[in-house]
Amino acid sequence: MARILIRLNENVVSEPLVSEVILENKVLFAILAAHINSKGGEIVLEVPDGEVEKIVSAFRQKGATVTIPKLIEVDTNRCFSCGSCVALCPVEAISVIEDLSIQFNKEKCVGSVCNICVDACPARAINSIRYSNTENTRNNHTHNKLREK
Amino acid sequence: MSKQNQKTRTIEEINQKILKGDVQVLTAEEMKKLVESSGVEVAFKEVDVVTTGTFGAMCSSGAVLNLGHSDPPIKIQRAWLNDVEVCHPGAAADLFVGATNSCEKKPFEYGGGHIIQELVAGNEVELRATAYGTDCYPRTAIKTTITKDDLNQFYLLNFRNCYQRYNCAVNCSDETIYTYMSKLLPRMRNATFSGAGELNPLMNDPDYETIGFGTKIFLGGGQGYIIGEGTQHSPKNLDGTLMVKGDAKNMLPEFLQGAAFTRYGTSLYVGLGIPIPILNEGLVRKTAIRDTEIFTDVIDYSVMRRDRPKLCKVSYAELKSGIINVNDKRVRVSSLSSLKMAKKVANTLKSWIEESQFTLTAPIERLPLDTVFKPMRQTQEIPFVSNVMQPAVTCMENEEIKIIAERMVTKSVNHIVVITPDGKLLGIVTSWDITRAMAESKKALSDIETRKIITAKPDEPLESASKRMAQHNISALPVIDSEHKVLGIVTSEDVSKLLGR
Repeated sequence: MARILIRLNENVVSEPLVSEVILENKVLFAILAAHINSKGGEIVLEVPDGEVEKIVSAFRQKGATVTIPKLIEVDTNRCFSCGSCVALCPVEAISVIEDLSIQFNKEKCVGSVCNICVDACPARAINSIRYSNTENTRNNHTHNKLREK
Repeated sequence: MSKQNQKTRTIEEINQKILKGDVQVLTAEEMKKLVESSGVEVAFKEVDVVTTGTFGAMCSSGAVLNLGHSDPPIKIQRAWLNDVEVCHPGAAADLFVGATNSCEKKPFEYGGGHIIQELVAGNEVELRATAYGTDCYPRTAIKTTITKDDLNQFYLLNFRNCYQRYNCAVNCSDETIYTYMSKLLPRMRNATFSGAGELNPLMNDPDYETIGFGTKIFLGGGQGYIIGEGTQHSPKNLDGTLMVKGDAKNMLPEFLQGAAFTRYGTSLYVGLGIPIPILNEGLVRKTAIRDTEIFTDVIDYSVMRRDRPKLCKVSYAELKSGIINVNDKRVRVSSLSSLKMAKKVANTLKSWIEESQFTLTAPIERLPLDTVFKPMRQTQEIPFVSNVMQPAVTCMENEEIKIIAERMVTKSVNHIVVITPDGKLLGIVTSWDITRAMAESKKALSDIETRKIITAKPDEPLESASKRMAQHNISALPVIDSEHKVLGIVTSEDVSKLLGR
């Protein structure tokens, strides 16, 4: 399964794009997260591996922007394993493992449509990466040079 | 009495063993297992010292820096380190960096805690200072950079560390709140707790038999001392705290980490561990305490008052399991302090003692056992929502817009609260909504009312309610109780009338 992020702008947001793509391509996929209002929206889909190319081009033809996102980046050097992110995660992508370290499961994370954990990290070890294949603008809060060496 | 049947041992005896290299040290975690498997007598015979540890956000931490004198000398009046304004406690060249002092440019992201960590790590920090200038201290401004090696003294000095236990925090309101207990999602969608539970130093010696003035401890990766009870020390309620001091030049950045809490501010995570000499069997029993025996209150942090409602009690065993039950609701809970680092503190201290690098000290005086934590004396009361709220003019959802418009006129109000037959909040209609209904020829109340309503609670400070009105650009808040029953309404007019008085 592969995750793709669909971005809808004002012009196409009222169209039933997801249903159209499903019906026209006869491919089933899961909607993991969606954030939509009248001005646009973001949808994270889980698509079967062999069908990714077909689905991506179908959405692009209908005027949506499609990216295959890298979701959240955890700086393990900064993390001091407090765990305050664990109970916040709605998809249980963060867990405490046996040695009491915090484990982050990229497969489960739904990324920027959620971002609940990002501003709750006291170590500022969690960065959300704005999706775009061309620009990776990081939402990095850090100011100091502690870890730069 | 033969040595085998000895029922007590002294700190001097333990120190001799430490120096000889044959001392028996267990971490608190290991001790509990040993007592459970082999009993108190065996544990007393086999163990000389138990090491404890905690690693959590300790906001009441700070550092004393002595800068030495500049040429010409300056009597510092105000000073900044990396744009974080620090305190100048007096004289000419001492500074106190509080962990929560925050950077003027990034107030919630960077602060005193980070400065302390930077200095401990050996990094350069920019110093700016201003002064009024005197005959003996003529200089009025200075800008330079410093590292810990440039300082005459660099002491960690923490007024209140090592809380014996702490509250578990939840948020029962409808909005996310950001607190020193981190981010709390609405309607109890998460909970946070702090403290190491059975690993916490004070939990393992709750009668302060061995922990007192002058006890040598692990502090921030170096050595420190207990210099008294911490502020707000409340040992009878199992809310003991410690005041500690240590040479920060010999500390490690891993055990002193700057932290940032969104919309609260900055802090410092401090690693603190205390060795507990096993002087008698009573101390064996005390160090055998388990998380299942340590309880704390679940507190609703959405109530903006000093005394927040206690919802229930939970044990540290439940807290560490990741799930607690609050009023029959399953709530996911996570730790704010690091249990992994707490263990590391206890293990590091254990190895120091085993390797004869750390000997124990007997306290020169005991800590007070009866101090209480009193609230602040206030000579002026502030207004609360209940002081200014008015009875709400209400309507039902099936009423005609025309009737509602008439009611606004006769009652001369701008807001009508839409309620259910049993008085619960449904929506709000403003005179502007009525005007819009006229302009757009809308007939149904449901087309014009606002259903997503920002509300106030009667016991909340008026200031926070009025801030919320400004934030959302609205002019009134229905006041509701915990069951969403409408108690009244507070309007911006009422607020300005009160403030204008």
